[in-house]
Formats: sequence, C-alpha cells, structure tokens
Amino acid sequence: MRKEDRNMNNTIINTDNLVKTYRRYKKQEGIRGSIASLLKRTYEEKVAVNHISLSVQAGEFVGLIGPNGAGKTTLIKMLTGIIAPTAGTIDVMGYYPNDLKNEFKKQYAVVMGQKSQLFFELTVNDTLRLFKEIYEISETDFQANKNYFVKLFGVEDLMDVQVRTMSLGERMKMELIVALLHNPRILFLDEPTIGLDAIAAKQIRSFLKEINEEKGTTILLTSHYIEDIKTLCRRTVVINHGTKIYDGATDELFDRYQRNKKIIVTYDSPTDYTVQQTKQVDVVMDEPYKKIYETPKENARHLFSELMAHEPKDIVVEEEEIGIVVERIYQETGIDENGGIA
Amino acid sequence: MRKYWAIAKTYTKTQLVWRADVIFNMIFTISRILFAYLLWGILFQGKETVGMFTFHGILSYYIVNSFLSQLEMSDGISGEIHYRIRNGTFSKYMVIPAGIELYFMAMELGVVLFYLVFDFIAAVVWIFVFRIQFVFVTEWSVIACAVIMAVLGMVFMVQLNYFLGLLTLKYQGIGTFLMIKNNLVSLITGSIIPLALFPENVVRILRLLPFYYVTYLPSMLLTGMCRDEMLEGVAVIACWCVVIQLVIRGTQKKYFKTYDGVGI
Repeated sequence: MRKEDRNMNNTIINTDNLVKTYRRYKKQEGIRGSIASLLKRTYEEKVAVNHISLSVQAGEFVGLIGPNGAGKTTLIKMLTGIIAPTAGTIDVMGYYPNDLKNEFKKQYAVVMGQKSQLFFELTVNDTLRLFKEIYEISETDFQANKNYFVKLFGVEDLMDVQVRTMSLGERMKMELIVALLHNPRILFLDEPTIGLDAIAAKQIRSFLKEINEEKGTTILLTSHYIEDIKTLCRRTVVINHGTKIYDGATDELFDRYQRNKKIIVTYDSPTDYTVQQTKQVDVVMDEPYKKIYETPKENARHLFSELMAHEPKDIVVEEEEIGIVVERIYQETGIDENGGIA
Repeated sequence: MRKYWAIAKTYTKTQLVWRADVIFNMIFTISRILFAYLLWGILFQGKETVGMFTFHGILSYYIVNSFLSQLEMSDGISGEIHYRIRNGTFSKYMVIPAGIELYFMAMELGVVLFYLVFDFIAAVVWIFVFRIQFVFVTEWSVIACAVIMAVLGMVFMVQLNYFLGLLTLKYQGIGTFLMIKNNLVSLITGSIIPLALFPENVVRILRLLPFYYVTYLPSMLLTGMCRDEMLEGVAVIACWCVVIQLVIRGTQKKYFKTYDGVGI
C-alpha cells in the first residue's frame, strides 16, 4: 500500500445509492416504423445502475462481475468521470469524477479492452513520450517506470515497432504500460483479457498481481472470465440488472455458488461407455468420441476416478461460467432488497 | 503548455507515416492554380486588369490562398468527435489530464506544421513552373497582421469544427451542419473566386462573417491588397474566436453531462 494511502483514510472509492438511467430511443420494425419515428419519437428509460453503494479501500484488488448489460462498465464509467450519475453520491480519491479535473485524472488510469490509447501509426516509445508530457512525469520517474514495466512485461523488442503490426496480446501489454506509466493510485480495468489466448491472459494476470502487490495500486477489474477473478481478486462484487447482489470474499462466493464442475472426456476410439445419468451426474453430451458430464463439485473426484478407469484420451475439468453463478446468486438472493446475501 | 506541444509533435509524427498522403497533397495544390491559370488567362486576354487584379496579381493570390487553404485542415475534427461520440469512444479524450479542446488544437497544429513545409515547397515550385511574377507585400506590419489573422482564422475554424462535433451530443447527426459550414467556407474563404470581385454590398455583409478572415483577407494582404482592412480584420476575427469560445463553454457545460458513452 502507498504511503499516502496508508496515512489517509483508507477509503479510496465511495459511492452511495448510485443510480444511472439511460434514455434510449425505440421504434417499431420496418420502414413504416422508421417513418413514424421521424414524426413521433418514443423513448424508454433503462436503469443501468440501481442504487449501488460501494466502498473500496486503498490497495484492494476488487473484481466486478455480472452478465452482459449488468451495469459493470457503466459503474466504471461513472467512477472515472466519463459519464455523470443520475442520482446518488460518488467520491473517488476526494473528487467528484464527472468534474473531469486534471488533478483527478492524473491519479487514475483506465484500460478498456475494446478501446485504445495507443497511436496505431506510431511506436509505443512515441506514445509513452506523449504520455510522459500529458501526465507531467519527470524524466527520472519516466525512465524508471518505463524500464520497470518493459522488463516486467518482457516487451523490450517491441518498443520501436509500429503498434498496428502487434498482436492483440502484445497490444494489451502496451496499453497497460501506457496506463501505468504515471503510477496511478487506481487502475480501472474493463475486460483486459477479452479476446486473448490462454497464455497471454495468464501473463496479463500475473503482471496485474505484481503491480497490485509491488506498487500498491488499487485495482478494479471487470471480467467475464472466472479465472481472472479467482486468481486476482480477494473481493468480488456481483452486479445484475444494475443491482449489487453480492459483495464479499471471492473464495466464499465461489464456494457457495459455484456448485458444479463440467468434465469433458475424449477417447481415441469410439466408446459405448457412458456414466449413467443420476441425480449426481448430468450427461450433457454423449457421442462416441466425446462425453460431457456435469456433477456437483463434491462428486467430481469420484466421477473423475470412474472415468479414468476407462482409458480416456483426455479429461478436462471446467468451472461453471460466471453467468450461471450470477443466475444462482440472483435466484437465491434476488429478493434481498439490500443486495446482500440472504 | 509542454503537453500540448508534445501532442502537436505526436500528430506531426503520425503524418510522416503516410507518404502517399504527403505526395498527393502537394500535387493537388496545383489543381486550384491550374484552374486559375486557365480561367483568368482567358478573362485577361486583351486586358491589363480585371477589377483590382493584374494577371500575375491574381495568380499570386491563388497561390497564397491555395497555400493557406491547404493548411486549414480542421474539417477532420468535427468528424472525429462525431464518430467517437456516436460510437461511445469519446472517453479516450475525457480520461487524460489535458483540455479536450486544447488537445484538438494541438492536434491541428501538429498536422499544420507538417503540411506547412510541404505546401510551401509546392507553392514555390508552382511559381517557377507557371513563371508567375509573384506579387508579395514587403511591409512587415502587413505581413504580421496577415499572419496573425490567418492563425486566428485557423483557431476559429478549429473552434467551429469542435463546436459542430459537440453538437452530436445533442442532435446525434450533424451532417446538415457540416454541409452548411462547408458551403459557406468554400464560398466565403475566397478559394473559388476572390471576394473583391463580388458586388460591394455583398462584400460588406461577408466582412461581418469570420470566414472572410480565414484565408481570403490574409491572402489579399499578402499579395498587397486591402491594406486598409487589416487592423479591423484582426479585431473582427479575434472577436469571433471569443464568441465561439463562449458558445463552446456553454455547450460543454450543458451537454457533456448527457454523454452516455454507449457502444463500449
């Protein structure tokens, strides 16, 4: 944790009953609908974030999960000042984000997987030089930080290469270097591993972990990948339909709500052997070369041993997807108006 | 200011990547001069002057006007803002600690600095190719006024395009505004026909508009004409810059809050 964060009140992000409502245009299908909408336009209101209260301590690594359209990105946009809240209070490092003050913007960084701060025509070194000036970083700090991150990400050979010629994984590493160059107190990450292969995603996770631990950077991460959340975040906030439905320890979340394992078995030759469908085992796919089972995690070991006895070519064990976990939490706690676990 | 200078330098660097753009931009400066050479060559047959212009005077005007027009590249700003607001990626400019409008001004400066060199070379080449007896004012006070006016004119155009881009926050589509602006600009900047050849009453009205001072009056001043308008011209374009800045400030205050960043 940073010295200044230790000395001050540790709360770095605080929101109370935060609400964001979007107004969106609706029209009936077809050309008649289009003409009618030209004369009379109808709008509907969509509540993207619904009374979310959230408090984050300096140095925390918090995961923000939920299905598409849950309100995660909207929350990040409000915390970074990109959009203004409709109602509620918001305080990030003592600032109201949507005032868009430069002093505030110098203290955070945001990386969105589908957006880029890099200049595609130029090299990363050129972009870093620009950001050195924009963030008013001294030459000494600039060199120290640049060297630290370039070494950490292992991208020495890519610094003078035109960005547009880089792979997605390489580009994401560069985005992170640009974002971290000014030593932000908070790093907002919106789907940083989206579209990356397993190796690149693992590397990014390992860098983020080190940055959080070594530099004490507070990190707020949204992701659809359970692996990102499980590996990195001690605390997870689950959002669905704009409402916070879980806020607590990541381990506890997955222990309680990730109840099943998916076991995928492949064979070298066609096999008739299939584990019998029972209350404990759900046969999801049954083909001669491939079988997929779903079973409660307590039973996974037993099923695994049984499957091993029939000489499979390969066995892969997968965790339940975030969507299923969220759905389960919602079904069981959705009636809790306070958004906590019932 | 160092950050804005760094932004300008970065955009100069991005221009240097695209070599074909540079070459074609230089070549296309000829189109206007060639058009003027052919048209005015016919009109000047058997005549010493047309209006207040000599043949070489009008060609000099076209070269200077063409040079200044090539430098006025703020058109892309409204398009960039419009595209990014509609696609929800305008936040790229909102999250960095730099003024958004100043960022666009620095961006424009970077592009202009780059083209300044190449367009200057092109202008000199055309003077030699067409064997033009180039008419250029020698009084420093007039040159200084013309340069200040041209710079303020370009600042105004950046402001105007920035403002039109921001209107996307309110109207979503700004195609009509851009079309009106483009028509006004192509007519009133005198890039097609020198405004001095228009009826005096029309010119009097045009003098109230900022576009008159973007490339037309600086070109006239630099080719030794309209000297009596120079101080008034600087004052008028400066006033327009202030007015549009106030409008921008109001627009930002009112509409930035409506930005919803959809699409990301």
